Amino acid sequence: MAAALLTASKVTKIFGTGHAEVRAVHEVSLEILPAEIVLVMGPSGSGKTTLLSMLGGLLKPSAGSIVLDGIHLTALKESQLPEIRALKIGFVFQAFNLLSALSVEENILFPAQLRAGGIAAARPRAAELIEKLGLAHRRRALPKTLSGGEKQRVAIARALINEPKLILADEPTGNLDSQTGQEVMMILHDVARDQGYSVVLVTHDPRVEDVADRILWLEDGQLRDRKSEQHNWERDPVCGMRVDEWTATEFTDYKDHKYVFCSSRCRERFDKRPEHYLTKREQSADG
Amino acid sequence: MLVWAWKSLIAQRGAVLGGALGIAGSFILVVFFHAVFRGESGQIVAYPEHMQPDVWVMQRGVRNMHMATSSVWDWKADKVADIPGVARVTPILYLNSVITAGNQKSFSFIVGLLPDDHRAGPWEMVAGREVSSQGETVIPDVLSNLLDVSIGDRVTIADTSFTIVGLSTGTYSMANSVIFVAFSDLERILSSSGTYSYLLVDAEEGIDPEALAGKIRREVEKVNALPHEEFVENDFAIAMQMGVEIIFMMTVISAILAILIVCFTAYSLVMRKRRELAIAKALGMRGSAVLFGVVFQSCILTLFGFAIAAVFAMIVIPYIPLLLPQLSLTVAVSELLQIGVTALLVAMVGAIIPAYLVLRLDPATAFNV
Ligand SMILES: Nc1ncnc2c1ncn2[C@@H]1O[C@H](COP(=O)(O)OP(=O)(O)OP(=O)(O)O)[C@@H](O)[C@H]1O
Ligand SMILES: [Mg+2]
Repeated sequence: MAAALLTASKVTKIFGTGHAEVRAVHEVSLEILPAEIVLVMGPSGSGKTTLLSMLGGLLKPSAGSIVLDGIHLTALKESQLPEIRALKIGFVFQAFNLLSALSVEENILFPAQLRAGGIAAARPRAAELIEKLGLAHRRRALPKTLSGGEKQRVAIARALINEPKLILADEPTGNLDSQTGQEVMMILHDVARDQGYSVVLVTHDPRVEDVADRILWLEDGQLRDRKSEQHNWERDPVCGMRVDEWTATEFTDYKDHKYVFCSSRCRERFDKRPEHYLTKREQSADG
Repeated sequence: MLVWAWKSLIAQRGAVLGGALGIAGSFILVVFFHAVFRGESGQIVAYPEHMQPDVWVMQRGVRNMHMATSSVWDWKADKVADIPGVARVTPILYLNSVITAGNQKSFSFIVGLLPDDHRAGPWEMVAGREVSSQGETVIPDVLSNLLDVSIGDRVTIADTSFTIVGLSTGTYSMANSVIFVAFSDLERILSSSGTYSYLLVDAEEGIDPEALAGKIRREVEKVNALPHEEFVENDFAIAMQMGVEIIFMMTVISAILAILIVCFTAYSLVMRKRRELAIAKALGMRGSAVLFGVVFQSCILTLFGFAIAAVFAMIVIPYIPLLLPQLSLTVAVSELLQIGVTALLVAMVGAIIPAYLVLRLDPATAFNV
């Protein structure tokens, strides 16, 4: 077996003290192998983002150790972490997080100023990524003029510019409609596979499971085994999409029944006119 | 980082322009007060400066004219006149008082002239004639406009009524306009007789004023004699003393104002962009680099404000006296440079609080939705 790229041992994160204490992550141990795509799933508030932040050197664990590519992140000084983040890790966020004043190309090149050779040396790679991610015609556009899918493709290119060994993505499809989300996932998957990057991906989207090598299930801050029968498929009453009740973040209690949704948009629509969607569903069930 | 900092500024040009205008405003305040006081202090010593005798003689212990009183017995003037090397002695009476017309008042510098004295009188007339008999006065043209009086009108000086017979120019200042009256009138106002205030001493060709002043001090008891240069320097120093303190206060106040504006503008830029700054940190940008960007922005902002102020000072201030003739304004380029240096300090100090915020930004917040 290949040596792990990332090893976390008994990582714990506690926020606050006393009554306000929250044990967001409790003694989580995991290994990520090179070129492996690992999903982290779990209910809302289970500590997924907290875990990812610690793996990425953005948050110091309260206990435990994290080793990335032979470097003990937890032993590093605060001032040494930015360099690790810049060179070893690519981040993809749910909120895209592009810099609004910079163009597509400048955003992609932004992390390159932190590596040897700087922006100039990274230009050919940026051009290649822009081509590969289908952004050529938007090269000089500002983020505010891009669609959600385009924004996330720019963010992916930015995460890849410094050729990091590890990509950390927190719900990268969370702000996209399902079709675009699917496309973005495929792109991330293809690039990672092509270049042999490891990806740790937090998601609620069950369709992403197909691309993963492994799924980690986080619940109450701890890793648990999740058997596949733990899926609990429900239909979104608005769009009719299949949603796993276990992992859904969007839900509403209406007349003593829990309805789950694929997105906040569907939930909002439902909340406005619940009867409309329920009668529609009954009708289609009847028919 | 700099490209990003610059483009972020451009993307928020409204806020940046607003901040820069505010900063410019506070710098203009400094430039303006400097200009006013420099001009005004120059005007306060206008009279002694224009008289230009070789030596000034006055009561012992007195060293200048502005805000001073001096009394010299008339026989001492004769004694001075007898000293070898003295060509001519012109005595004047002098009083700091108020001139009133209607209910308007102005501080003034009243000079009493002996009959037929053209040596110590107004140096440039614009209308009418000089004082030739009792009850007559010559006032500055600017003052006549401000008091709304003209030749033939009456004004009150130290509770005595005078008729304006002439208007002089170059004699106005806000703190001290120079007004000429007959010697005997001022004598009556002062209830004095047989005394002068100052003696203007002209030396013969080739006589050193310094040496002559020393000689007068030695040979005439209880008088002080100073060469013209020294006398005017003393006068200017006294005039500036008050002005300098006010200028200093104004500079400090304006600098604080500018710092507050820089601080506020930079603060709001940072607050508005705090998410992006956190993202930059999450992507591996060092806190110090982000900080550098913020200080860079604050410097650009301040220099922009300074540039607006400088252009304003160079172009607009020279025209102000045309609209407000009572203001004497002098802008010194060295002062602008001084303010430019102040501006950079302002930028640094103003960036402290925003910089502190930036350093504290938690990169993990980049994950927040
Ligand atoms: N900075 C913080 N201070 C205090 N508590 C926090 C902080 N960040 C997270 N928590 C708490 O830690 C727990 C785990 O939060 P986390 O954001 O990691 O969950 P998550 O699995 O990412 O949830 P979601 O699916 O909704 O994004 C939650 O109870 C949360 O309230
Ligand atoms: Mg989360």
